[in-house]
Amino acid sequence: MPAYLRLEILRTLRDRRFLFFTLAFPVCLFLLFSTVFAAPGETEPGTGLTVAQYMMVAFGSYGAIGASLNATGPRLAAELDGGWLRQLRVTPLAAWKVVTVRIATALVLALPSLALVALTAALTQDVRLPVGRWIALLVLLSVATLPFAALGTLVGATVKADTAQPATLMVYLPMAVVGGLWLPVSQLPDFLRTLAPWTPANRMAEIGWDLVGGHAPSAAAVAVLAAWTAAFGALALLGYRRVTVAS
Amino acid sequence: MNAITFSQVRKAYGGVQAVDGLDLALPAGQSVALLGPNGAGKSTSLGMLLGLARPDSGTIGVFGHDPAEAVARGLVGAMLQDGSLPEGLTVAETVSFVHGLYPDPLPLAEVMELADLTALARRRASRLSGGQAQRVRFAMAIAGAPRLLVLDEPTAAMDVESRRAFWAGMRAYARGGRTVLFATHHLEEADENADRVVVIAAGRAVADGTPEEVKRAAGGRTVRFTLGDQPSAGLDLLPGVTGVRIEGATAVLRTGDSDATAEALFTRSGLRIRDLEIGGAGLEEAFLSLTRPAEGA
Repeated sequence: MPAYLRLEILRTLRDRRFLFFTLAFPVCLFLLFSTVFAAPGETEPGTGLTVAQYMMVAFGSYGAIGASLNATGPRLAAELDGGWLRQLRVTPLAAWKVVTVRIATALVLALPSLALVALTAALTQDVRLPVGRWIALLVLLSVATLPFAALGTLVGATVKADTAQPATLMVYLPMAVVGGLWLPVSQLPDFLRTLAPWTPANRMAEIGWDLVGGHAPSAAAVAVLAAWTAAFGALALLGYRRVTVAS
Repeated sequence: MNAITFSQVRKAYGGVQAVDGLDLALPAGQSVALLGPNGAGKSTSLGMLLGLARPDSGTIGVFGHDPAEAVARGLVGAMLQDGSLPEGLTVAETVSFVHGLYPDPLPLAEVMELADLTALARRRASRLSGGQAQRVRFAMAIAGAPRLLVLDEPTAAMDVESRRAFWAGMRAYARGGRTVLFATHHLEEADENADRVVVIAAGRAVADGTPEEVKRAAGGRTVRFTLGDQPSAGLDLLPGVTGVRIEGATAVLRTGDSDATAEALFTRSGLRIRDLEIGGAGLEEAFLSLTRPAEGA
C-alpha cells in the first residue's frame, strides 16, 4: 500500500495542469484579492480576522479542495475507462486498498496548496501565527478535504473520462463561491448566505478561520463535514459497485 | 493437480448466453489456446476465470481456489484485452510497481528481458505505440511469477515481428512448468504456441486436444485430384472420407486418413486419378468446420 501511495503522489505531481490549478492559481488569487481589493489592516466583519488572514484561509482551502477533487475524479474516471483499474483488479492489490490509497493521496496533495498560500501570506502580507497553530491549520484543513475526496471519487465512478474534467469544475466553482472562498460570506446575496453554512467548502474554511483566530473548530462544522463525507462516500461506493462488481 | 477447472459454467449478458455450460479441466504446466471466433465467449470465460465477473451458475477453480482468492494470493497474472497504461509513469516504474505487488516475483531484470523492454525502460508508458504497450502489459502479467498466466488476445496490436518476439517470450515463461491459457482467433498462433487447443463456439467447448487432434477431429487432411468429367458418386464412401467438394474439374475430399483414401482412389474407385495432392487441412479449415454449425445456433 505505501508503494501505491508513493506512485499515485508521484504521478499526480508530474501533471503540470494539476500543479498549475492547485498551486500557482490559488497563490495568484490570494495575492490579487489580498493586495488589490483590500486596504492594509482592514478586517473582515464576519470573522473579525484581517482580510489577509481571511483570504489566506479562503484561497488555501480553495486550492486544497481543487487538489482533492482533481486528484480523484478525472483520474479515476480515466483509469476506469482506460482499463488501468481493471488491470489492478487482476493483481493481488485489494480493491479496498486502491480506494483507501486514492483518498489518502487526495489528502496528502491538499497539503502543498495550503502550505504555499500560507507561506505567501506570511511573506507578503505579514501574517504571523504561533508555530503550533500553523501546524494545526495545515493538518486539520488537509483532513477537512475528506468530503471533497469522497465527492471526487463519486464523480470518477459516475462520469465518463472525457466529461470528468468539466464535471469537476462544475461542482468546484459553485461550491467555492457559495462557501465564501472568493468573496466573504457577509458579501454574498441573502439566499446564498443562508445556504453557505450547509456547504462543505464553507465549513472547511470556517475551521481554518477559527484556528487562525485562536478558537477550536466548532462541533457544527465537524458535523456538516462528516455528514457530507458519509453521503458522498456512500454514493461513491454504490457507483463503484455498479461499474465493477455487476459485470 | 488441475490449474483450472470450469464446471458447467454459464453466463448471460443482456439476454445473450455468452457462456453456455462450459466444462474444462487444464492440468498444471500446459500451454493451452482458447480458440474461437469473435463472440464465442472467450473473453467472458477469461473474465470469470480472473474473478472480474461471476458466473450465473457453475463453478470455476484456480489451483483449487475461488478465482478472486487465487488472484489475491498472487497465483495469477493476466494480460487483458483493453488497458491503457497510466499517465505520468515510465515503463520501469509501471512494471516495477506491479512487480512489487506479488509475494514472490521474478527478478525485475528478467521480466524486462522476457518482455523485451530493457531499451524502453525510461520511456513514458502512456506514450508508447500499441505494440510496445502490449509488451509492457505482458511484463506486468509475468512480473509476479504467477503459476497461471492468462492472455486475452495478446497480439492484437502487434506487427509480425513483435508477434514472433512476443511468443518467444511467452514460451520462455511457460518453460518453467507454468500454466498458460491464451485466447486467440489467430489459428496459426494456437497451432504454434499451444500444447493443447480448446475450440470454443457459442459459449461451449466444441473440440479439445492437441493441435493435431483438433485438425483430425475436423476431418484432418484434404486429398484433391482432377476429376474432369468422371462421375463423383461414391467418393464419399471411400475409407476415411468425411466430406466431398467439387470445385470445377477438381474433387476435394476431406479425410481423417489420407493414406487409406489415396490408396482406395487408385485401387477401388475405378476412376482415372490425375494431379493427386494431399494437404494438411490446417487449423483454419478445422476451425471453420468445427464452429460453422454452431454459429447458426
